[in-house]
Amino acid sequence: MIECYNIKYTYDGINYALDDICLKIDNAEFVGIIGENGAGKTTLAKCINGLLRPQYGKILIDGEDISKFSVAQIAKKIGFVFQNSDHQIFEQTVEDEIKFGLKNLKFSPEEIEERLENIIKKLDLEKYRNISPFELSGGERKRVALASILCLDPEILILDEPTLGQDMKQKEYLVKLIENLRKKGKTIIIITHDIEFAAEYIPRIIVMAKGKIIADGPREIITQNNFILEKSSVILPQLAQLTKILKSYNIFKSFNCNFADVHNYYYELKKYLKKK
Amino acid sequence: MSYTSASLLDLFKFRRKNTPIHKLDPRTKLYYAITISILSLIFSDIIPLGIIFLSIIPLFIIAKSFKFLLKTLQGLFFLVLIILIIDTLFISLSIAISMSLRLFCLISSFSLFFLTTHLDDFSQALIQMHFPYSFAFALSLSVRFIPTLGLETKMIMDAQMSRGLELQKGNLIKRIKKFIPIIIPMIVLSIRRALLIAESLEARGFGIEKKRTYLYQLKLTWKDYLITFILTIILSLSIYFVYFYGLPPILTTKLPI
Repeated sequence: MIECYNIKYTYDGINYALDDICLKIDNAEFVGIIGENGAGKTTLAKCINGLLRPQYGKILIDGEDISKFSVAQIAKKIGFVFQNSDHQIFEQTVEDEIKFGLKNLKFSPEEIEERLENIIKKLDLEKYRNISPFELSGGERKRVALASILCLDPEILILDEPTLGQDMKQKEYLVKLIENLRKKGKTIIIITHDIEFAAEYIPRIIVMAKGKIIADGPREIITQNNFILEKSSVILPQLAQLTKILKSYNIFKSFNCNFADVHNYYYELKKYLKKK
Repeated sequence: MSYTSASLLDLFKFRRKNTPIHKLDPRTKLYYAITISILSLIFSDIIPLGIIFLSIIPLFIIAKSFKFLLKTLQGLFFLVLIILIIDTLFISLSIAISMSLRLFCLISSFSLFFLTTHLDDFSQALIQMHFPYSFAFALSLSVRFIPTLGLETKMIMDAQMSRGLELQKGNLIKRIKKFIPIIIPMIVLSIRRALLIAESLEARGFGIEKKRTYLYQLKLTWKDYLITFILTIILSLSIYFVYFYGLPPILTTKLPI
């Protein structure tokens, strides 16, 4: 469980990148953080995994204050997958790249081998294991970066813009992976601009703007609220827009649907049309 | 690691100020820096080097950048300490002091140049000195990317630390080894970016015309001519005295040790 109490963070001592953030994320929750550029999403995530230390307030992970732990110690609990996988890839083979984190956290050689085999199977990296990660495509490199964090088996996983520049197939792959992780009771936090992705898959959405949390709630409420989304420079998901347009037509006047994901939307619409 | 090197780089960063030195032509300032460098290399005694160093100080004051001179001296502290110790042990204290003064003169003259010259003016000066345009352009481009590189290093360090890399722990050799995961991504990213920049430059028609024209041309004023003239005289007199005539004994006085 992550608890943030009144955290404030400033890079330059003048402007607050995080301004009085209070937040609680339970175990096994799936949370999305959305917001415009510079809203403080990544700063918040970096505070949670200890890369940045907030000047005010405190952060508890499973009831323990993280200020006394080093980043490496926190890394055992919290996995952080960065936006740009090229910021971390440096080894000669994919296998070594994945092993790097495991070696840092001082796992035994047998444990390292076991985890490596597991993650390679899970992320379908078998055919790449002995080639240089620099030869891979962007999407594949992202998968290697993800594997190198997932093999540490963290309780909490933070993904920074995982859908950026990914095609539909990779996105679906990611969703499947997240579903599997959630079944195991892992907490997942996704930082994203992709409102469609959030509306489709993420149950709880936190909206940030100018270093503050301006909304925090289930997607059924957040994705319908034009006022909040506009404040963080995000447009309504397409299905929420469709609801609005349909409502403006005479035949669909009483159509009310809070969902913005395809599955639920379809059922709501079907129910409505049957009633008609 | 970045703190000391970053603050030293800071001493070579242009600050916009309205002073006579800032207004001088970059070529004059470059000529000044080169003259001081040559002078500090041809003299090897304490008194002449001391005079050269003292002559630089008022220029920093006129350029309203005196605190940067102090910072330069501060930044060179460890290097100077090493020079002083090694030279005193193996040669003599006089040599040690003159070597340190020489280093101060070399660094601070170029520091003055970069503190008071905008990069665009510098590259324009190079072009007007008949350097190839691509050379001047590459130079200004590379300086422009230094802060970007710093930011990127920070991001790479963050990424590796999140994978359990502990940069502060271990002995010296271990710590040096720990920089491999940071240096390799940095090199790879820089090469990738260089290729990208080259492509985007070509896409925007870079190098389409062999002969370029410029909106702003640098012009030398009477001040520039005067300073260049004085510098040339000082330089030629110094060379004459050092190599053909010999310096008066007062100037070559050495410390007893």
